[in-house]
Amino acid sequence: MNPVLGYIAIAAVTLATALIGFFGLRISRTTQDFYVASRTVRPWWNASAIGGEYLSAASVLGIAGLILLQGAGGLWFPIGYTAGYLMLLLFVAAPLRRSGAYTIPDFTGARLESRLVRRLTTVLVILIGWFYIVPQLQGAALTIRITTGLPSWMGAAAVSIIVGLIVAAGGMRSITFVQAFQFWLKLTAIAVPAVLLLITVGRDGGPSVDPAVAFPAALGPASLDVYSTVSLVIALLLGTMGLPHVLVRFYTNPDGAAARRTTLIVLGLLSVFYIFPTVIGLLGRALAPELASPGEADALVLLLPGMVIGGLLGDVLTALVIAGAFGAFLSTSSGLVVSLAGVISQELAGGSVRGFRIAAIASSLVPLAVALVLEPGGLAGSVGLVFAFTASTLCPVLVLGIWWRGLTARGAVAGMLGGGLFCGAAILLGPLLAAAGGWPSWLQAALAQPAAWTVPLAFALTVVVSRLDRRRAPRGADRVLARLHAPEARA
Amino acid sequence: MSEEARPQRVRVTAPRPGEPIAAPAEHPSIERTDTATVYVRSLIRSQLRLAIICASGFVVSLGMLWLVLAAAPDLDAIVIAGAPVSWLLLAFGAYPAILAFAVIFVVASRRNEAGYRSLMSAGGES
Repeated sequence: MNPVLGYIAIAAVTLATALIGFFGLRISRTTQDFYVASRTVRPWWNASAIGGEYLSAASVLGIAGLILLQGAGGLWFPIGYTAGYLMLLLFVAAPLRRSGAYTIPDFTGARLESRLVRRLTTVLVILIGWFYIVPQLQGAALTIRITTGLPSWMGAAAVSIIVGLIVAAGGMRSITFVQAFQFWLKLTAIAVPAVLLLITVGRDGGPSVDPAVAFPAALGPASLDVYSTVSLVIALLLGTMGLPHVLVRFYTNPDGAAARRTTLIVLGLLSVFYIFPTVIGLLGRALAPELASPGEADALVLLLPGMVIGGLLGDVLTALVIAGAFGAFLSTSSGLVVSLAGVISQELAGGSVRGFRIAAIASSLVPLAVALVLEPGGLAGSVGLVFAFTASTLCPVLVLGIWWRGLTARGAVAGMLGGGLFCGAAILLGPLLAAAGGWPSWLQAALAQPAAWTVPLAFALTVVVSRLDRRRAPRGADRVLARLHAPEARA
Repeated sequence: MSEEARPQRVRVTAPRPGEPIAAPAEHPSIERTDTATVYVRSLIRSQLRLAIICASGFVVSLGMLWLVLAAAPDLDAIVIAGAPVSWLLLAFGAYPAILAFAVIFVVASRRNEAGYRSLMSAGGES
């Protein structure tokens, strides 16, 4: 591949992101602007921004790679990523907006009137955020290596430095503009190549490969392992609502009804977006089976336009895809860094702008260190594990905190610790066990996709301990619940 | 929805750690009378029922899609545009269901809130 294309595309995206970020800086002046853009962002802007922030390396590169590598199993990822927003709409969107809290720790700490809960939630949010940034940096490393031939670490370092600087300079207000821009960039960058690929392949009379070879029944929808699939879907459905960068965005809606409208628009945007990586993944199975190896499959979206179309048009499309992918790393990482910096600076620096800036730099450098040390896994797979962890820790305390008066601080702590320990242990032990071999296959499956047992376990622990601790239910619970669910008074 | 007037810029401040989030004084719809408590509890119940119905409806329809694909392996043999129908159904079939349940929820939850509002204003006048 011509490295000049990569340089131009990456420089253009970075420049556009920085320009919009600094343009936003001129509007954001107050502490409120830094945290949640003063809640004046409109549903369409906000929905584009949510989409821009949510569509990460796993969506832009990982899904097509996984469909190429695993077949129909990879098709469940985009379904789960989208349906996760449905669950968020149903159970948390409007109440959480009405809570008036900035961050998840603000919400849990105030709802349960407990500093311990607040601290524990803070730790979990930081852990989840850092481990969600790592795959973004690994995606950047892969993109840099494939498209420019430079060493991988430069991609990861470039993304974390750009993100740290932009967030520290602009805060949430400019990030909202940046994210909205990034959504439409990503959609264009993947939709145009997908459509042109379909047209090219259709004009040439379709792929010459036998469908039974490209889409073997053994990898088809009917032969998926039931436990692994169900567990993955549980993780993706319930993990979305606990992601720190997703929640913080709902605070920018003017009221609860607007939060629901925004989520509905997000669902429409995501449903349209995910058509295209799926199409490229399916085309890849027929046209580029030689890429189907664990290290290379995630590069399918980057390589396929050049392989199939070629010429000047192929080059332009390749540059477009690189720009979209790089946009994905920048936007998801900056969304995460904003929410992490918000949480850290509220906890440690009393919510000052200076504290936010320092926290932003720190939140982008720690994951860089982790990404440089860890062996890169498949993008969609490692993001899937973060969803499982979020679903096992923050989802129960959020859902029960919003809907159940009987939740107590001890119940919440028990659920978060229990779910977090078991899910974390499964994530750490799973690869070791698989490498050692000789363990029963059900145990390996249970550790590889832990959500199906750790999420019910976390919910059960939370409910049982809260029931035992009934007398300590927060006295203000009725009033908080009324605040969460009663519609805002009409002005 | 885009025709609505741009909402006023609202200054919001973060709650200090340990400070309760509820601010009933600024929230006229919340009164600590017995009737109001009953109304708000019934609103919460109906919203929760609605959310659970929509969630189970979606999960059941997703499960049905999967069952159909598993029960009819012949779908692998029917090829449209170079790909088996079973793959295409799983790839693109779930999104209409997601959007349908989302629309149902947004409309019905707004209706629940409108019902609560009219109850509260009727209660306030008597």
